[in-house]
Amino acid sequence: MVNVVWMQGATDNGCLVSFLNMQQPDVYQAIEKLGVSISYQNTINPTSGKDVIATLEKYIAGEEQLDVLIIEGAIPRGPNGTGMACFIGPKSFAQWISELAPQAHYVLAVGTCAAFGNIPAAEPNPTDATGVQWHKTEMGGFLGKEYRSKAGLPVINISGCPAHPDWVAQTLVAVLLGKNVELDKYNRPKDFFGEEITVHDGCPRNEYYAFKVAAEKFGDKGCLYMNLGCKGPHTHSDCNRRLWNRQSSLTRCGIPCHGCTNPDFPEGSMPFFQRRRLVVEGWKVVPYIIGSGFMKLAKPERLKNE
Amino acid sequence: MAEIDLSPITRIEGHLDFKINVEEGKVTDAKAIGALFRGFEIILKGRDPLDALVITPRICGVCPTSHNDASARALDDALNASIPENGYLMRSILLGVENLMSHAAHTYVLFGPDLANKKYEKHEAYPELARRFAPITGTSYKGAVFARIKLDEIFAIFGGKHPHTTFVPGGAPVRPQLSDITKALSIFMQVQDFLENVTLGCSIERWLENRSLKDVQKWLEEDERHANSDLGLFIRYGPELGLDKLGRGPGNFLSYGVYAQADGKNWLPAGFYDGKHHTLDQSKIEEHIKYSWYTGYEGGRHPMEGITEPYYEEGEKYTWAKCPRYDGKPAEVGPLARMIIDKDPLVLDLAKEYGPCVYTRVLARLHEAVRLAAKIKEWLLEIDPAKPFFGSYERPSNVEGIGLTEAARGALGHWVRIRDGKIDNYQVITPTAWNVSPKDSNDVHGPIEQAVIGTPVEDEDNPIEVQHVIRSYDPCIACTVHVITPRKSYKLKVV
Repeated sequence: MVNVVWMQGATDNGCLVSFLNMQQPDVYQAIEKLGVSISYQNTINPTSGKDVIATLEKYIAGEEQLDVLIIEGAIPRGPNGTGMACFIGPKSFAQWISELAPQAHYVLAVGTCAAFGNIPAAEPNPTDATGVQWHKTEMGGFLGKEYRSKAGLPVINISGCPAHPDWVAQTLVAVLLGKNVELDKYNRPKDFFGEEITVHDGCPRNEYYAFKVAAEKFGDKGCLYMNLGCKGPHTHSDCNRRLWNRQSSLTRCGIPCHGCTNPDFPEGSMPFFQRRRLVVEGWKVVPYIIGSGFMKLAKPERLKNE
Repeated sequence: MAEIDLSPITRIEGHLDFKINVEEGKVTDAKAIGALFRGFEIILKGRDPLDALVITPRICGVCPTSHNDASARALDDALNASIPENGYLMRSILLGVENLMSHAAHTYVLFGPDLANKKYEKHEAYPELARRFAPITGTSYKGAVFARIKLDEIFAIFGGKHPHTTFVPGGAPVRPQLSDITKALSIFMQVQDFLENVTLGCSIERWLENRSLKDVQKWLEEDERHANSDLGLFIRYGPELGLDKLGRGPGNFLSYGVYAQADGKNWLPAGFYDGKHHTLDQSKIEEHIKYSWYTGYEGGRHPMEGITEPYYEEGEKYTWAKCPRYDGKPAEVGPLARMIIDKDPLVLDLAKEYGPCVYTRVLARLHEAVRLAAKIKEWLLEIDPAKPFFGSYERPSNVEGIGLTEAARGALGHWVRIRDGKIDNYQVITPTAWNVSPKDSNDVHGPIEQAVIGTPVEDEDNPIEVQHVIRSYDPCIACTVHVITPRKSYKLKVV
């Protein structure tokens, strides 16, 4: 039996809604074959009120082993340091997390809110919100740099707005099987967020990109990077390899990538529909510009915008 | 006087706490209190207007597409957009699929499990209700979990992913091929299987022939598959469980209208009903703050001129939710309101017989879901992949826009004021703000508060009756953008 507690803070519940689309394993296999027991998840919980409080207090007192603590949502520390911009029953969300985290064997911060702060932490950060162990691109956040779960690990960040159900499910399964999950520089599983992966990979508009055929307006066939602000080339996640809901991705549906897995989302991506930088970090500017010019000349006839 | 702590209320979307007074087994006063503030409207100030298209859907991950639609419609209005027919169809399909999914999730995952509550253990239908509706293990619950995954797949074919696609002013950014549409239709048939075999016990078309309670009675008797379907079971046993006696709201209903069409009309119309049908006039929408922790004005204020100036004091104010009113009146929003405003004959007959109670509300939601399922199929077949999906919009610097639509759980409005090309003021009134609103300037309770007051509480350790009432409105607190709570000393107790 694996005890899982899923806490929701300053969140829109989108990561839970996304998680419910999990298919490998599906919810029933997770329960029946992997022995997952979800002790508390507000949206699906059978009981309300004091039963919920009693369950959480049992874990805080160490009477029951808390195997996995999943946190969805940013942690507001305001207003005025009270944390009460978000509360569950008698305690602020911040208070619950500070009491539950020391008892947890693994902590998963699911979604960009929990991982890095996301929209609630966007300027002017009205509720003084932060991520569980990171504040945007800086380690620290709510629990602080030094925090380690009982398994000796930092908080495992699974960013995304929302997080892909597979990112959560496969991390959970790996942890339950006792596997070592390799993390990137933002403590995210490398499998999904590694340096060598971008949203650009697997985008069917890649050929347009290569020959610099740009979409001028929404609904055009070209690449969304040049004029519509696609953040795909500098966003490290596998959306266009893995696909969403087993079907598609934003860029496949004509919507520029918003960079929602990035630690500096949303501010680092706004304005969302404008190109913010000429090149992506790491690209060599002069060769890029020269190369682009040549690629335009090399463009085959069939790659017209309309 | 009993002291029961109802917090947190689970199986709703997001953070809701609830404070009630109970005397002699009956609720005498009620206060609905949201428990989350993120400050979206503050964060949007000074941003590029198009940024609202990405930020506002993240108000709610349960009904993000209604925010997609409202933000796109507000910008359509402000930026003088021209939208081709395919653009309207695409938006309606995406919003319709999400609303259908939300209704399925509400019926089976949020509300349904209460039918397997221990209160009903002695009822003859209990073993069957528990077998179907118990959380996780119920057979229908399980079926619904997989049906909603299928609906999300249809959504992703056109929207890229669910939750959180992005709508744009001027139509839709997607260019689906015929094979995308046929694939969506094929997945839809799998959802239809669940709806017809498990929920209805008959075809969608057969159910939609029911236009009165008399028709429904005939339908029940016609075939035992009808009577033994989930809907048949609910229709037969709902009144026996007392659900027709619970949760009578104020009897005023508001719909902004939804599923905009190229002819300028909505498939489900806008309107206000307070015993009589009225045309919607959005200038009659106001937000009050007498009992909310805000300051800066008295009485009501239209959202385009909305002020959000927090002000906490210990006194008569008891919530950070603002209090929307229409023409000075509280109004119920959601499927029941939409069906009444649409003059749906079956729902009008239901409301006449049972009043605006838990039973009527749940049946109106299911009936709307069946109507919507039929309509989604029509919309999919109407798409012409050879024609454009996106038209155009302009970029004026100083302009205002209003985007009105309907989420699964009711009327959603976005009001945007653009100055020097940036967002100067962005105000959102969510459906749940209407339903969980506190008392207004005239001391009139909000709809859920009114519906909870007078509710009998049989067992104080299991106040399931109050939970039936709250859940029947399908509240979504993630949506309540204005809601915040003040400080640690605040006790969530039932006095």
